[in-house]
Amino acid sequence: MRRYLARRLLLLVPVLAGVSIVIFMVLHLSPGDPVEIMLGSQATQEDRARLRGDLGLDQPLHVQYVRWLGHVVRGDLGRSLWMKRPVLAEVLGRFKATLILTGTALVLSTVVGIALGVASASRPHSVLDRTSTVASLFGASMPAFWLGIVLMVVFALHLGWLPASGMYAPYGGGDLRDLLAHLVLPAVTLAAASVTIVARLTRAAMLETLSQDYIRTARAKGVVERRVVLRHGLKNALIPIVTVIGVQAGYLLGGAVLTETVFAWPGVGTLMVQGILARDFPLVQGCVLVVALSFVLVNLAVDLLYAWLDPRIRYE
Amino acid sequence: MIVTTARLAMLTLILALGVVAPAVAQPAGTLVVGLVAEPVNLDPAQVTDLNSNRVGRRIAETLVTFPEESTRIVPGLAESWVVSKDGRRYTFKLRKGVSFHDGTPLDAEAVKFSIDRQINPEHPFNKLGKYPFANFFFGNIKAVEVVDPLTVEFVLKEPRASFLAVLTAGAASIVSPTAVRKYGQDYALTPVGTGPFKYVSWERGQRVVLERNPSYWRFPLKLDRVIYRPIVEDQARLTELLTGALDLIVGTPPDYVGQLEANPKVTLLKQVGAHVWYLGINNQRKPFDDKRVRQALNYAVNKDAIVRDVLKGTGSLSVGPVLPKTWGADGGLKPYPYDPERARKLLTEAGYPGGFTTTLWVPESGSGMQSPVAMSTVIQSNLKAVGVNVSLQTMEWGAYLAKLRSKDQELFALSWMAGNEDPDMVMYPLLHSSQWTPNGPNRALYKNEKFDEILHQARLTTDEKKRADLYRQAQRILVDDPPWIFIDHEIQTAAHAKRVQGFKLHPSFDLRVETISLR
Repeated sequence: MRRYLARRLLLLVPVLAGVSIVIFMVLHLSPGDPVEIMLGSQATQEDRARLRGDLGLDQPLHVQYVRWLGHVVRGDLGRSLWMKRPVLAEVLGRFKATLILTGTALVLSTVVGIALGVASASRPHSVLDRTSTVASLFGASMPAFWLGIVLMVVFALHLGWLPASGMYAPYGGGDLRDLLAHLVLPAVTLAAASVTIVARLTRAAMLETLSQDYIRTARAKGVVERRVVLRHGLKNALIPIVTVIGVQAGYLLGGAVLTETVFAWPGVGTLMVQGILARDFPLVQGCVLVVALSFVLVNLAVDLLYAWLDPRIRYE
Repeated sequence: MIVTTARLAMLTLILALGVVAPAVAQPAGTLVVGLVAEPVNLDPAQVTDLNSNRVGRRIAETLVTFPEESTRIVPGLAESWVVSKDGRRYTFKLRKGVSFHDGTPLDAEAVKFSIDRQINPEHPFNKLGKYPFANFFFGNIKAVEVVDPLTVEFVLKEPRASFLAVLTAGAASIVSPTAVRKYGQDYALTPVGTGPFKYVSWERGQRVVLERNPSYWRFPLKLDRVIYRPIVEDQARLTELLTGALDLIVGTPPDYVGQLEANPKVTLLKQVGAHVWYLGINNQRKPFDDKRVRQALNYAVNKDAIVRDVLKGTGSLSVGPVLPKTWGADGGLKPYPYDPERARKLLTEAGYPGGFTTTLWVPESGSGMQSPVAMSTVIQSNLKAVGVNVSLQTMEWGAYLAKLRSKDQELFALSWMAGNEDPDMVMYPLLHSSQWTPNGPNRALYKNEKFDEILHQARLTTDEKKRADLYRQAQRILVDDPPWIFIDHEIQTAAHAKRVQGFKLHPSFDLRVETISLR
């Protein structure tokens, strides 16, 4: 087990290196020039050449990449071209906000998704099941920017129950209560699609499990239905559910970009959008590395969960 | 099971609503402003975007500035100035007793430091910034000389009548040399100037906080603090204003203008800005090298409809690059009327009775671009009506700017914010032939020798009346030999809560919150 863990962690290195090369190439090959955007349209050729030299952008791509990598292995992600701030501090500062948002959305989609799925599966074709099917279809089809705005208009503008944007009130506030109030709308928006996916998958997995012979045996033995569903059914249906939740964690990290923009949530997503629009190479690379790293770690956690859930699974 | 789940869900919901905090009461002296995007950098010498400028100008100030409602030049940190006969020396007398927020006195050395760090590659602080205006604004400066502690002289390489207008630019702000030396590269994050507000803090992605400068030289301030919040999504900004979480927002999208005007909780302000939105034409390419074709395109486009239906009134028709009703504008000129018949006739005369096919490049969005895609779509259909088949190519702003360097453009949508009303600051860069891209922003590759000569002459004299005459001639040339399809000047909008008093929009697109008091 320990060897397996060490091997998986070691594998992080080539994965992150690959991600960094891909993102480096994509950024540099996409049209648009950071110098152009930084200086504005009044700048002369001379200004542009000077700045390009100062930033090292006049070097061949592989030289730029190796230089960047050299800094990264020493724990220095460089300075943002545009904002002139150290990338690492900037990204980590924002990542906290993203973790709060995606973490909440993940918990929300897991709890609500599994509960809905189990309920539907235990009474297939009931009113609840049908309602949840329709709701799932709705949730999965609504883009975050639309759902977010609708929720904002209803709960912030018309009902006045919740703040419309940001992470804390601009003054006062700043405590947990304030944070939670600001978290509700973006977390629900972000979780909406995932809830439905988890619910649908849970329903399918549960239906399959509940039709197994041992479930019939359990019922025949007179085990209470609740115990049949939860202990005998759910626990054995969990493997595919955990897998999809792991995938959803990655999806939520990516989907946070849209939700954060709609709700002015100060996370990595909004930072990454700014960075991409400005062709701020070091900044975008920093953001992507952090997101990629967390995605890989979530996947590892899912793999480890399998072994815990199903004792037959062993890693050597 | 189901019952339990439902109960649990109810309980969670009740708990969730229980934590929901009611809006905190607004502190009496704090103004909260909603910006369209986060400021990037608060070193005035490095700012190229509107949002950084709107915040940064509260902190650092310039030698000369604008009064409350126009962009005519008035004294700022300099209380008076003398221009030498040959127009090459500008001597400024600085205001006595003004200090930067860190206590450093404002003196001639500070002025020299603020400009020198941008233009002198040997300056110890030159490498710390990108200085986008080093050539465009200050390339003509030979030296900045300290005459005595309160007198500073700018020596120019050649006369430039618009030099005072140049010194109103954010990049010409005077910064505390002590602070730049102390913070180095981080000065951009901890700016120190002489302005009405002092920098307090900046939580990335959330807010920038400024605090009243108690010893501000111009007038005592009524606000204690200003908080700027970046909110990109229009609906979120609007909701925050209507629910009282924001006091003031700028850049209300045209579609919301009617809604805000009708809302009794807020006041909507409008003000035409020193800006021009134009549909650039590559003047060197066939068939656009024939001025009749360019005239025809101007007749073919229904500008009234664009302003009325797309911009919902947030634009004012343009006759050319110069803002109407300013000192250099020719009040006698009328915008090209919408006359498709005339357009067809001109195209026939030019040898294109059946029209032609061309491409229009449009950015999806961009600073000062208003509603580029919707506006261009109307233009496309207007041109189709006179036989010109336009295919629209939309691009992301960064990619668009890069593409415009290629000289492959045929038609392209673009805008320019001069920030002041001096005609030289918009006509010269956009239309003088020495400014052809990639060396300057003349992306229409316009060249008219008579026009070039007039602009050159107007730079040599500092007599405003003579300059105005010359610029009027130049504008008449542009109407006859149009470089672009003239569209509009943006009418900027802002909306504020009723408790905000004494706020006016400024034609320079600045956001002067220092005049505000809160009821």
